[in-house]
Amino acid sequence: MTSRKIIRILLAEPSPIIAEGFCSLLNREGNRFYVSRTDDYEELKRIIHGGKPDMVIINPVFIQNNTTLAELKQEFHGVKWIGLVYAYFDPKLLSRMDALIQINDTPGDIISILQKQADAHNPEEEAQPSLTERETEVLKLLVAGHSNKEIADRLSISTHTVITHRKNITQKTGIKTVSGLTIYAVVKHITSLEGYK
Amino acid sequence: MQEIIFQNHYILLMLEHFGISLVVYDKTIKELCDENQISTGVFLAFANLYNGVKYTPEHDYDYDDLQTIIRYLKNCHVYYLKEKCPKIEHYIRLMCEQNDQPETQMVKSFFKDYLNEITEHLNYEDEIVFPYIIDLYQKIKGQVTAGTDNNYSVTEYKEHHNDIEEKLNDIKNILIRYLPQKEDPVIRRKLLFSLFEMESDLNVHSHIEDSILIPLVEKMERQLQQI
Repeated sequence: MTSRKIIRILLAEPSPIIAEGFCSLLNREGNRFYVSRTDDYEELKRIIHGGKPDMVIINPVFIQNNTTLAELKQEFHGVKWIGLVYAYFDPKLLSRMDALIQINDTPGDIISILQKQADAHNPEEEAQPSLTERETEVLKLLVAGHSNKEIADRLSISTHTVITHRKNITQKTGIKTVSGLTIYAVVKHITSLEGYK
Repeated sequence: MQEIIFQNHYILLMLEHFGISLVVYDKTIKELCDENQISTGVFLAFANLYNGVKYTPEHDYDYDDLQTIIRYLKNCHVYYLKEKCPKIEHYIRLMCEQNDQPETQMVKSFFKDYLNEITEHLNYEDEIVFPYIIDLYQKIKGQVTAGTDNNYSVTEYKEHHNDIEEKLNDIKNILIRYLPQKEDPVIRRKLLFSLFEMESDLNVHSHIEDSILIPLVEKMERQLQQI
C-alpha cells in the first residue's frame, strides 16, 4: 500500500456475525480505518448526515427495501457505495455500486478494493479549500453590510453570481449568517475590526 | 421504561419536558403514560425522535394529544430560556475572560443577538400560536361556539417559523474551526457540549412542531372551515 491516508468507512450490515468479522479483518490491517457501524437504515442516513464517510460498505438489502442507489448518490454526493454481497440481488442494483465485495473474497482482495476506491476518491470532497480571491471580495463587502445588489454593482457582476459566491462561501466556511461570517472575516484578518465594536 | 433510559439518557430530558418524574421505578411505558395522561403514540413518537428516528405517522395522533404536545413544547421553552441559554451565556463570559481578544467579544454579542431572536420566537409561540391552537381545539370539541372569525392561521406561523438553528450552527463552527484557543480549552469544551445539547433538543422540538403539531392544526382548520 502506498497511500497511508485514513479511510473513513461506514459499515451497514444487519448481521452481527458478518459485521464483526468484517471489522476484525479491517483491524488486522492496522490503524488506518475509521469505522462506524450500523444495522439500521434510518441510522445509516443520520450518520452520513452527521459527517460524510469516504465510503459506505452496505448490504444491498438496505437499498432494496428502502430506496434506490441513485437517490442515495444524489443525497450524499461524493460518497462511494460498496456492496457487501452474500445473497442474490438484482444484478441491475449491483451493477450501479461503485464496487462489490463478495463473501468469499480474501482479506487481501478486500483491502485492495477499499484502497482503490479511496484513491479514486473525488478530490473536490477533500478538506475545505480556502476562499478564492473573488469570494474574499464578496465576503468583505457582505460583512461591511452591503446587499447582494450593491455587491453586484461594485464588482460589476450579476446578482446571480453574487448568490453563487455566497453559497460557496457558506459551503467552505460552514457559516450561514452574515454576523457569523463577520466573526470569520475578523479571525481570518480578511476585514479589520473597525466598526464592529 | 427504565431500559430506554439506560439506552439513551437524553430520554430523561424528554421525561422532564413531558412533566414526568425522572424516577420511573419499574413501571412500564404504558403505566407511566396512563398515569400522566399521555398517549403512548405521542410518547413513543417523541422517544423515537430522541433516538434520531423520524418516524411519525400522522394517524397516530388525535386532537386530544394537542394539550400534551403543547405542554411539552412549553416546557422545552422554559428549558431553553431559563436553563440552557443562561448556561451558554455564562460559559461564553468565562471564555472571554480566559481568552481575551476582540473576536471572543464578537462571539459574545453574536450569542446575545441569538438570544434575543430565540426569545422573541418562543414568546410568539407561547403567546400567539399555542393559545390559537387551544382555541381551535375547544371549538372542535364544542366547548366554545365555532364561527368567531379569526384571521390568524397556522400558515402564518409556518412563515414565522424561521430557522433558529442556523446561528447555533454558526457559533459551533466558529468555536471549532476558527477562533484560536488560549487558556480556555476546558471552558470551550463545556460551551460546545452545551451548544450541541441545546441543538439536538431543538432539532427534536422543531420536528415535533413541523411534522406533528402543524399537520394536526391544519386538519382542524380544514374541519372548522367546513362547518
